[in-house]
Amino acid sequence: MDSNEHATFRAAIQGDRDAFEMIIRSFSRNLFAIAYGILQNREEAEDVVQDTLVKAWKSRWRVRDPEKFPAWISTIARHRARDLARRRRPEPLPHDFESTETVAAKTETENADLDSEVHAALSQLPELHRMAVTLRYFEELDYATIERTLGLTNGALRGILGRALGLMRRRLKPALASIA
Amino acid sequence: MSTIHEQIDELLAADLHGELSGAERDAFHAHLVECADCRHAFQEEKNMHKLLNETIADKKADAGFEQRMVSRFRDRVPQRPGLIQLVTNLVRLRAVQLTAAAALLLSMIQMGRVITGESALRLMSLDASRSVRESELAKSPSSVTRDSGVLAYKSDSPGRGADESAAKWTSVAGIVAQNPAPLPQDKPETETPLPVTVYSADVLTRQASTAPKTKKAETKDERSKTDAATSEPEPSESTSTTAGPTANRKLVRNATAELEVVSFEEAVQKITGFAADEKGYVSTSSSEKQANGKLRGQVVVKVLPDNLDRFLLKLRGLGELKNQALTTEDVTKQYFDTESRMKNARLMEQRLIEILKTKSKDVADLLEVEKELGRVREEIETMQGELKFMDSQVQFAAVTIQLSEKNMNIPAAFLLKERAQLALYATEVEKTYNDIKALASPKVQITNAQINRDNTGRVSSYVYMLIAPEESEAIISRVKAMARVENFQVQTERVAQGGDGLGESAKTERDKVVLNITISREEQEQSLQQTTLRIRSSEVNDKTKELRDLAEKQNGRIRSSSFSRDSNGREYANVSLRVPMKNYSALMQSLNTLGRVEDVTVRRDDRPDSQVNQADAPTDITIQVYSQGNIVSQETGIVATLRHTIGQGATALMWSARMIGVALAFLAPWVLALVGIGWVMRRISRARRARKQHAEEQDGLS
Repeated sequence: MDSNEHATFRAAIQGDRDAFEMIIRSFSRNLFAIAYGILQNREEAEDVVQDTLVKAWKSRWRVRDPEKFPAWISTIARHRARDLARRRRPEPLPHDFESTETVAAKTETENADLDSEVHAALSQLPELHRMAVTLRYFEELDYATIERTLGLTNGALRGILGRALGLMRRRLKPALASIA
Repeated sequence: MSTIHEQIDELLAADLHGELSGAERDAFHAHLVECADCRHAFQEEKNMHKLLNETIADKKADAGFEQRMVSRFRDRVPQRPGLIQLVTNLVRLRAVQLTAAAALLLSMIQMGRVITGESALRLMSLDASRSVRESELAKSPSSVTRDSGVLAYKSDSPGRGADESAAKWTSVAGIVAQNPAPLPQDKPETETPLPVTVYSADVLTRQASTAPKTKKAETKDERSKTDAATSEPEPSESTSTTAGPTANRKLVRNATAELEVVSFEEAVQKITGFAADEKGYVSTSSSEKQANGKLRGQVVVKVLPDNLDRFLLKLRGLGELKNQALTTEDVTKQYFDTESRMKNARLMEQRLIEILKTKSKDVADLLEVEKELGRVREEIETMQGELKFMDSQVQFAAVTIQLSEKNMNIPAAFLLKERAQLALYATEVEKTYNDIKALASPKVQITNAQINRDNTGRVSSYVYMLIAPEESEAIISRVKAMARVENFQVQTERVAQGGDGLGESAKTERDKVVLNITISREEQEQSLQQTTLRIRSSEVNDKTKELRDLAEKQNGRIRSSSFSRDSNGREYANVSLRVPMKNYSALMQSLNTLGRVEDVTVRRDDRPDSQVNQADAPTDITIQVYSQGNIVSQETGIVATLRHTIGQGATALMWSARMIGVALAFLAPWVLALVGIGWVMRRISRARRARKQHAEEQDGLS
C-alpha cells in the first residue's frame, strides 16, 4: 500500500467524507466482486456493497490501523453477503461437491447454456475460492492485492486459485471439450 | 519434477494469471514438454481461463457502478452540519475521550469540595465578616466574644504583621464605608482560617471608623483656631463613618472597661505603659483590699480620642474582659452656645467699662455699673471654666477601667471524708452480727443495725457504724477477720473548706469514717468453680457414704444428695457439695479411690472485680455415682465391641444421610432455577424459530 492510499484511509477513518468517497470509487468494485462471489446475483451484490459502505462509514472509528482498512471493509461485505445468502437459503448448500457424473448429466440436458454451467460450477466452490475467482476475473487484480483484500497470508492465494480453477476444470470437462 | 506434477493446478492457474517468477515458468514449461497429462491439463486450463473470462467477467460491475455507489451513499448518509460532524468526530478521538474523563473526574472532585466544607468555610467567613461589620456600628455586646478571636490571633502572630494587614485593609475599608452594601470582592489571596478572617474583618471596620475620625480631629483643630461661627447645628449623629461634617464637632469620648486580671499591680503598670504609648496618662487610680486578700480597684486613664480605640484593643490583652462600654457625647452645640454667650458677656463688659470711664457722674449709678461689671465678669469666668472643662474633656478621652483580681481562693483546710463498704459472707450470720455489734465503744458508734430472716430461712443483716479516724483501720481489719470478705470498698473525698482552689499549704483533717457492713450467709455466695463428674461403681450406696466422709475431711459441706434405681437395676446417687478452693484439688485426688472418675467438666467463673479471697472461695462439685445395669456388667469383650461398632456405624450412616439432605436442600433451589431458566430459553428460541419459518413460508408463497 503506498503512502498516498494510507493517508486516504487515515483521513477517511477520521471522518473525511471526500476521502471516504475516494475509497468508494477505488474499492467498491472489489467489494462487489466479493459479494458476487458469495451470492452470484448482481442486484443482491450491489445492495450488499451499498450496505457495507454505509456500515463502514458509521463504524469507521473502530479501525485503529489504516493498514487493515481494506481487509476490514472486505470482511464487512463478506459477512453481509453471507447473511443475505443464509436468509435466502436457510439450509446451507446441500452438497459441496457433486460428482462429475451428475454435472455431466446436467450438461447434457442444458448443453446450450454454457454460462449457467460455469456458474453452477462456481457455486459449488467453497466461499473463499469463489471470492478469489471473482476478484481475479472481475478486476484482474494481482495476487498480492487480492491477498490483502481478503486478509490472506502471503502466498496463500496461489493454492486457493489453483485449487478453484482445477475443481472447476474437472467439473466442466465436457463443456471445455466442446469449446476446444 | 515430481513437485511440479503434484502442484500442477496451482502452477497452471498462476501461469495463466502471470504470477509465476521466471525460474518457475521455465521449470513449468519444461515439465509440460515432458508430461503429456500436464500438457493436456494445461490446454484445458487455458480453455477454462478463456471461458471464465467470457462468462464470469461479464458479470462484473458495470461502468457506472462507482458513481452509483457514491451517489447512493450520499443519499443514505446525508452530510451532517459541520458543527455536529465536528463534535461527533471529536468525541471519537481517543485523546478527547481521555480529556473528557479527566475533566469529569476533576469536576467531581470540585463538587465534592463544594459539598464537604472547603468553600463552605469561605462562605462562613464571608458571613462572619458581614455580621461583624453590621454589629460593629451598634457596638453590640457580641463584640466581646469576637475579641477572643482577636486575642488568639495576636498571640500567635507578630504584631507587625497584624498592623500591616490592618493597613492593607484600610483602603478596602474606605470603600466599604462609602458604599456599605456590596462586599469587598478582593478577598485575601491566602486561605486564612476562620478566626483570622474575622479578625481582619474586625480590624477593617475598626479602621473604617477610626480613619475618618483622625482626619476629623486634625481639621477640627485647624478650625477651632479660626472662628467657628460658620458651624451650623446638625442632627446628632451615630458613630457611623461619614467623613467631613464631623470635622469641627466637639465630641466627648469616654469608655469604661471591666477586667479580671491575675495581678492588680501588674495590670496597673501595664495600663500606665499603654497610656504612655498612646500619649495619655493615668489620671487617678485607687484600690482596695478585699476580705479574701484580693485587690480590686479603678484606674482612670486619659488618652487622645484618636488613640482610644487602639488603647481599648490593647487593654483586652491584660485579662478577661467582662464588660466594656464606649460613649460619645456631642457637646458642639453646648460649646458654641457658651462661647457666643461669653462673647456677648465680653462685649457687655467692654461697654460697662466704657460707661465707667465716660459717664462717671452719679455715684449711685457708678456703683450700679460696678456691680453689674462684677456680675458679668463672674459670668465670663464661669463660662471660661466651662469651656476649658469641655476642651479638656474633648481633648482627652477618659477610660475608666475597673480591675479586679481573679478569685482564686486558697482553701483554709481540707476535710478527708472516708466511706467504707464491706460485704461479708458468714457461716452463721447471727453470730457474726453480734460479734460486730460488740465492737461498739465511744470511738466506734453503731448508727444502724438490722438482721432479717425471710420465710425461706435466709438470713441477712447490716451494720452501719461511725469510727473515729485513728481507730478505723484497726476496726476494719478486725471485722474483716470475722468472716469471708466478699467485697470491700473505700471512698475518700477531700472537701475543701473556705475556698475552691488548690491550697498547697492547707492542712488536711480526717473526718469520722463511715463503715457500712452487710452480712449474708455463705450459701448465698456464688461458687467460683463448678465441677461435675461421674463415678462408676458397683456399690453405689457404700461409695456415696465414703464420698460423704471424704468431703467432710476436706472441710466440705453436702448441699444436696439423691439416690435412685431404675428398672434395669442401675443405681444413681447424686451428691452436690461445696468445698473451699484450697481443698478442691485434694478432694478431687481422693475421689479417685472411690472408682473410675468419668466425664469431668469444670466451669470457672472468674470475677476479677470482686475481692474474694481465692483460696477460701467456695467451689461446687456435683458427683454422680452410678452402677452399670445387670445385663452387661463390663463393656469390654467381643460382643460389646461388635455392638459398639455397629451402633457407631449406624450413627455414621444416619449422619451422612443427614448431610446429604442438607446438601440437597442447599442445591435444590439452584438446580430448580437453572432448569427453569433453561426451559424458558428453549421456549423462546423455539418460538422465534417458528416465527422465522412462518415468515419464510410467507415469502415463498408470495
